[in-house]
Amino acid sequence: MFEYVVFFFFAAVAVIFALVVILHRNPVVSALSLVVSFFSLSVMYVLLDAPFLAVLQVIVYAGAIMVLFLFVIMLLNLQHMSEPATRPIQQFLGYTTSAAFAIGLVYYVIKYAVFTAMPSGPFHTESSAIGVALFESYVFPFEMVSILLLAAIVGALLLSGRTTVRSEVQP
Amino acid sequence: MIPTQWFLILSAILFAIGVCGVLTRKNGITIFMSIELMVNAVNLTFLAYARQFHQLHGLIFVFFVMAIAAAEAAVGLAIFISLFHHRETIDVDEANLMHW
Repeated sequence: MFEYVVFFFFAAVAVIFALVVILHRNPVVSALSLVVSFFSLSVMYVLLDAPFLAVLQVIVYAGAIMVLFLFVIMLLNLQHMSEPATRPIQQFLGYTTSAAFAIGLVYYVIKYAVFTAMPSGPFHTESSAIGVALFESYVFPFEMVSILLLAAIVGALLLSGRTTVRSEVQP
Repeated sequence: MIPTQWFLILSAILFAIGVCGVLTRKNGITIFMSIELMVNAVNLTFLAYARQFHQLHGLIFVFFVMAIAAAEAAVGLAIFISLFHHRETIDVDEANLMHW
């Protein structure tokens, strides 16, 4: 009973703050609402027997990535950026399309994602089990991710380094 | 034990909210945050199915998705900083260099 209450409370929080993210004009409010939404999702991860990934969600997403977003918003001083209401027809079409998409997705989940009983026994998702899987069957993708992160660092430095890019474009 | 279907419904709603943000907003940072929302909805689906079938692969996938999202956020925000330096705005309507 208790976990149903927790589920509905945090599901409502996640959906409401996700709506605030896309509807609010101020990007700072959007970013902070997204942090709240991610926290509620980490509660969902705990309910799904994945406490390690819940911790990772709080540290990596709600911590590191959202701090990066807030840092860029503050750096570029975007709090007061106004969004002119051009293209009303396209905006209306966007809202209707996504509403239809939501209704269709929920309808198909209710209709077709019907499961039989789960396998019995506990689901072992300790960090040790994840670590063993990462370094045995997933060791190649793991190394690839490390190379990708290195490439992302180099790319980010190259893109945001203003003077070097300028001097290459305009010699 | 909460049914798997409920998590899938929550994930579908969050994904649709993310789609709505990408389609209707013009602020580049907000569009980027909507993409992060969609990524998280997919993560929730992965974990719901992982629990349903007692498979560890879903959890490993979520781990990799988080790493990719970190890389994506770094590169994407660097692109926005660069765009801001050139155009003094991050309105995506202004970023029409590759317009036909």
